[in-house]
Amino acid sequence: MCSSAPVRSVVDVAQGAPDEQRVMTMFDRKRQPAGRTAEALRLVSVSKVYGTGDSAVTALDGVTLSLPAGSFTAVMGPSGSGKSTLLQCAAGLDRPDRGQILVDGEEMSGGSEAALTKFRRDRIGFIFQQYNLLPTLTVEENTALPLRLAGRKADRAAIRTVLTQVGLGERLGHLPDELSGGQRQRVAIARALVTRPGVIFADEPTGALDTRSARDVLSLLKETVRLHGSTVVLVTHDPVAASYADSVLFLADGRLAGHLPAPTAEAVAERMTHLGDRAVHSPLTEV
Amino acid sequence: MLFLAMRSVRKRPGRFLATLLSAFLGAVIIMTFSSLHDTAAAPGVDEVSAESMTVSASVVGGYGSLLVFFAIASTLTVDVRRRAEEIHLLRCTGATPGQITRMVVGESAVVALAGAVLAIGPAVLGGRLLLDLFKDSGQVAADVAPAFGAMALGSGFGIAVLASVGAAFLAVRRATRPAAGTRGPSLGRGRTLAGCAALAAGAGGVLTTYAVDSTEEMLMAFPAYGAVLLSVGFAVLAPSLLGRLLHLLRGPLAATGGAGGYLSARNLHRRGAELAGVLMPMILFIGMATATLYIQGVESDWAAASGLDKTVDAKNVETLNLVVVGIIVVFSCIMLVNSLYAATSYRSREFGQQRLAGATPGQVLGVVGWEAVILTLTGVVLGTAAGIAGIIPFTMVRTDHVLPGQGPATWLVIIALATAATLGTSLGTARRTLRTPAVDAVTAAA
Repeated sequence: MCSSAPVRSVVDVAQGAPDEQRVMTMFDRKRQPAGRTAEALRLVSVSKVYGTGDSAVTALDGVTLSLPAGSFTAVMGPSGSGKSTLLQCAAGLDRPDRGQILVDGEEMSGGSEAALTKFRRDRIGFIFQQYNLLPTLTVEENTALPLRLAGRKADRAAIRTVLTQVGLGERLGHLPDELSGGQRQRVAIARALVTRPGVIFADEPTGALDTRSARDVLSLLKETVRLHGSTVVLVTHDPVAASYADSVLFLADGRLAGHLPAPTAEAVAERMTHLGDRAVHSPLTEV
Repeated sequence: MLFLAMRSVRKRPGRFLATLLSAFLGAVIIMTFSSLHDTAAAPGVDEVSAESMTVSASVVGGYGSLLVFFAIASTLTVDVRRRAEEIHLLRCTGATPGQITRMVVGESAVVALAGAVLAIGPAVLGGRLLLDLFKDSGQVAADVAPAFGAMALGSGFGIAVLASVGAAFLAVRRATRPAAGTRGPSLGRGRTLAGCAALAAGAGGVLTTYAVDSTEEMLMAFPAYGAVLLSVGFAVLAPSLLGRLLHLLRGPLAATGGAGGYLSARNLHRRGAELAGVLMPMILFIGMATATLYIQGVESDWAAASGLDKTVDAKNVETLNLVVVGIIVVFSCIMLVNSLYAATSYRSREFGQQRLAGATPGQVLGVVGWEAVILTLTGVVLGTAAGIAGIIPFTMVRTDHVLPGQGPATWLVIIALATAATLGTSLGTARRTLRTPAVDAVTAAA
């Protein structure tokens, strides 16, 4: 099989000099909250198998990676490459069969859902393709919800500031149904930012948007990294979306299969075509 | 579109279970009582026997049918609403609102027919048991043979299908409208009008009691009809009243109930129409149970006091009447559980969204629990109001008193039952939906 060598190299690159340099500058500008480690996310030999026996599918096969704080990383791969599983395991929404996951330097424990939820609340933010805003809450209430659920005082001024930053300062009292797709996604971004999480996971955040709204949302994510010093992991199959990230990790057959710093849409598309070939061909060669 | 309807019923029978169950139980009850009409109409039945059966069939069969009608309708409304996603998908693939309406209405007709067909067997049996009870109490001659014919089948099928098709039509019209972007203010006005009409009709039914002769055997029918209609009217109007109340209460609720209380106050405040679907069986249960049990108690006391039943065994008559009323009460309790189950299980996606926003399973259950408490309180207040509105005129006309002399024990048991059913069903169902991982819950097509 074609994989163990690329995995090593990817890890090396992910932890390599350019990233560290950026982390240093982040610290120099004092944008990182106190007590936050330089490493926002670390996965060590994470594996996940769905099903048993003949129908077992290995979704993740010993993935090891490390993302520095303040980085904007896109995870790409063809359908079935395991990128959704990677995101769900890394974000504590699903439990890996093997391996270790550390967010902000703290290991995610395999406890009850309540324990995992409490772990996620303070450390992880989410942005989904389908927004997942609560339809009965207004823009302002939706944004404040994670704080409320965590039993923290929701500072109205802070909520409004975040919403103004994402361009929704005028729509605080609207319900999600009254907003466009792009606006809903911006509410979701504000909601993800409000707890100041160590990592924000965005799962195909532009999948349901038109080109223009998609561009706005991606620029906003990029700005978020720059302004708030957030760490963003973007899972996507769209090379244009991936090109907004600082670097791209490629995934194929549940393994890391490459790394591309400073990506352009063309370069990403080129790599993806290559990956797609391999993903299609490898089962055939096994037969 | 009928092809699509048949296909979706055949491929996913589980989705229609709630509707099927309500159509089945409703049809069993209607057919059981209506079969007394058939039995009474058979040649060779003496006049006294025929009259006992006809009165019972008309009174209980009458308000029972009305109750069954609204019970089936409310379950169906919940059932159609949980399919909003699928309806949206069909619209996107090019189905016109007319086609979707035909599909959903067709499905409902198929399910209601199936429920009614299944009901025939149990209803034949139930009719026989009921006739035996009448014979035991001496109200019907021992040689009367049970019959099951046109009246039983006609009313059973008629009401099950009419309620399902009517409710499906209204619900699907509501479901296809917002998608077409023609949602107007008329919708709220229509609700208010319908609610007021039901209240007016209910008040009329209750007040008619005063115009009836105090010894009339059918007297019970009027307050019972009135109580059903008042319950329906309250259920339709309650959400908007409740909304206003909750708007005031959401501060205190959030303070006492934490994030759970906060979310439930907002949920209840903003989804009035969906609330009515659950409130309907709740108010119907409390209203009907209160009204019929107390009215029956007054009736039994009156019968015993006036010595009308000297000829027959008074104890047996009382048993018979309690069985009859008991069937109605048990039915409305099952419908309450049925609707709550359907309404809660389709919120799996919403619960998933709450969990992804950082709610622990305990907090999600907290939201559901608070909602159940508020719903129960609303149901208790309005259901009791509807019940008392039926009890007072009946007691005043039948006896010299205003209130029945039985005391509050029966009512307390009803309230306890309603509370246990509501909290148990809501929390139990929510707990089950929480077993699905949150990510799957939000992506799975409702």
